[in-house]
Amino acid sequence: MLPALVFFGLFSFYPIVNAFYTSLFKQKLLSLAPPEYIGFGNYIYLLHSSTFWNSVRATAIFTVCTFVLLVGVSLLLAAFIASRKRVQSVLQMAYFSPAVVSSVVAAAVWMLIFDPRGLGNQAMNAILRTPGVDHKWLASATMLQISTILVYFWKYVGYFTIIFIAGLTSIPTTLHEAARIDGAGAWKDFWCVSFPLLKPTLVLVSVMSMIQCLRTFSTQYVFTQAGAPRGPIDVIAFGIYNTAIRDHQIGRASAMSVILFCIMLVLSWMQFRVSRSDDVSYL
Amino acid sequence: MSPTSSERRRDAAAPRVLGQTARALPARILIWAVLGVMAVYVLAPLVFMLTASFMPARDVMSMPYPWIPRSLYWQNFWQAIRGNDGKFMYARSILNSLVVATAITASTALLATLTGYGLAKFPFRGRRVVLLLIIGTMMVPFQAIMIPLYMVVTKMGMQNSYAGLIVPFLINAFGVFLMRQYLLTFPDELIDAARIDGAGELQIFWRVIIPNSWPAIATLSILTFRSQWDNLIWPLLVVQSEEMKTIPLYITRFASEKYTDEGAMMAAAVIASLPMVILFFALAKYFVGGAKLFAARKG
Repeated sequence: MLPALVFFGLFSFYPIVNAFYTSLFKQKLLSLAPPEYIGFGNYIYLLHSSTFWNSVRATAIFTVCTFVLLVGVSLLLAAFIASRKRVQSVLQMAYFSPAVVSSVVAAAVWMLIFDPRGLGNQAMNAILRTPGVDHKWLASATMLQISTILVYFWKYVGYFTIIFIAGLTSIPTTLHEAARIDGAGAWKDFWCVSFPLLKPTLVLVSVMSMIQCLRTFSTQYVFTQAGAPRGPIDVIAFGIYNTAIRDHQIGRASAMSVILFCIMLVLSWMQFRVSRSDDVSYL
Repeated sequence: MSPTSSERRRDAAAPRVLGQTARALPARILIWAVLGVMAVYVLAPLVFMLTASFMPARDVMSMPYPWIPRSLYWQNFWQAIRGNDGKFMYARSILNSLVVATAITASTALLATLTGYGLAKFPFRGRRVVLLLIIGTMMVPFQAIMIPLYMVVTKMGMQNSYAGLIVPFLINAFGVFLMRQYLLTFPDELIDAARIDGAGELQIFWRVIIPNSWPAIATLSILTFRSQWDNLIWPLLVVQSEEMKTIPLYITRFASEKYTDEGAMMAAAVIASLPMVILFFALAKYFVGGAKLFAARKG
């Protein structure tokens, strides 16, 4: 018990406090010179830095698109699957399977799919009937952003589908029966019974998926290592890594960490507020 | 829940459902189309990974993709393990990943259960504060603390070593929280009975708590093992030498080398996925249980 607490102190609380503290200094990694106190200098620098705003934009695009796709599609899939008991477990496992491979492996596999000769182009050309067109998955800025979103969405859609299915199946069937007797169709049953009761699960999934999206790193890192341009997918976590390790600017990286932390805190707080405001109970 | 009531319901609803199917046919086709498209999207890359690992590079990159290997091209796996420089570094990376992930999983399972037990069953001064602090750290993303953490580890002289890879993750807040929630519902009578029978506190923990918390421990272990197997960003900071690289680092480098063979790359990916796939098929219910746990935690 006590060792565990000491441990938390050293490896969790201390770094958090230290992040705030370091963010006020101009400090270089591996440098022996004492850090120089510059107050909010790092924050002011970041607010004027186009690289930082580019990071923020890349993160926002990635997070919003992935978040909407993940929550929307996994809710849709869950609603479809949960009403089909016979195939439920098979489909559930199939959709979950990408979560089993690690994110670096996923990035490596998708890298080959997005190769000019790869499956990505083949599938797109088959659908759009445009033989021989290269869609530049890893070269053009917009396509690169779409590519990273597709990889992330692919990996986590099954995971959130399962959470939603668990939420849906925990709704007592008597409520659905009552709605049917009152003359509600499947659509109305879903919107007026399942959806309101699913709200706690929905909030939970939203918080989780949004926080996960904000932390994304692996796909972007592997793609850039393989030669993709960094600009469009320079998400904040990636930016922190580069600022600290490549540019050796520890103070600046800490300031970025603090900003990331605050964004997450505000988002989770907002979502919990929304969920508290009007809870529905039919029992 | 009883089977009779659901059967009765199906019987009663049968005539109406029959009437509805005719009307709802387009909707049903749409539903199955969505499910089908998603299944292809989700499974095709995995099938691609597996089949490509058995093909020579020119087949992997041929258009259209053949999908079925003409013969099992095992050279890919040999090439993946041997590496482009012939130093067999992948074998070392696999060993490193196994050591690190196993050590962290074992210690997390033990320490989180112990701490969770303490927080759930022993009222002491400041318990609420400790619990709040632990839940608070759950909210802090690793990316926000990794740089200070890196400096702590460097000051302790642990960079580029197993200690540096393992020690910061020996216990995690989520594990403590999970075990506490689980042990809150643990019957006090069982613990009291053991105490009356003269068992010491440690003995109670070993003989009563651990054997009875198996589902929660298994779920936590799988979550921990998977997140460590997947960990890229921390080893990237801590590890400098080839010898200490873990699988994610190795694959990243292998994938970005110019003369890497596509077939060998997929073979390396298949090898890296094997332990998780085996765990998944052996313990699928705990994998899925981990996801369902979140749904149960609502409210």
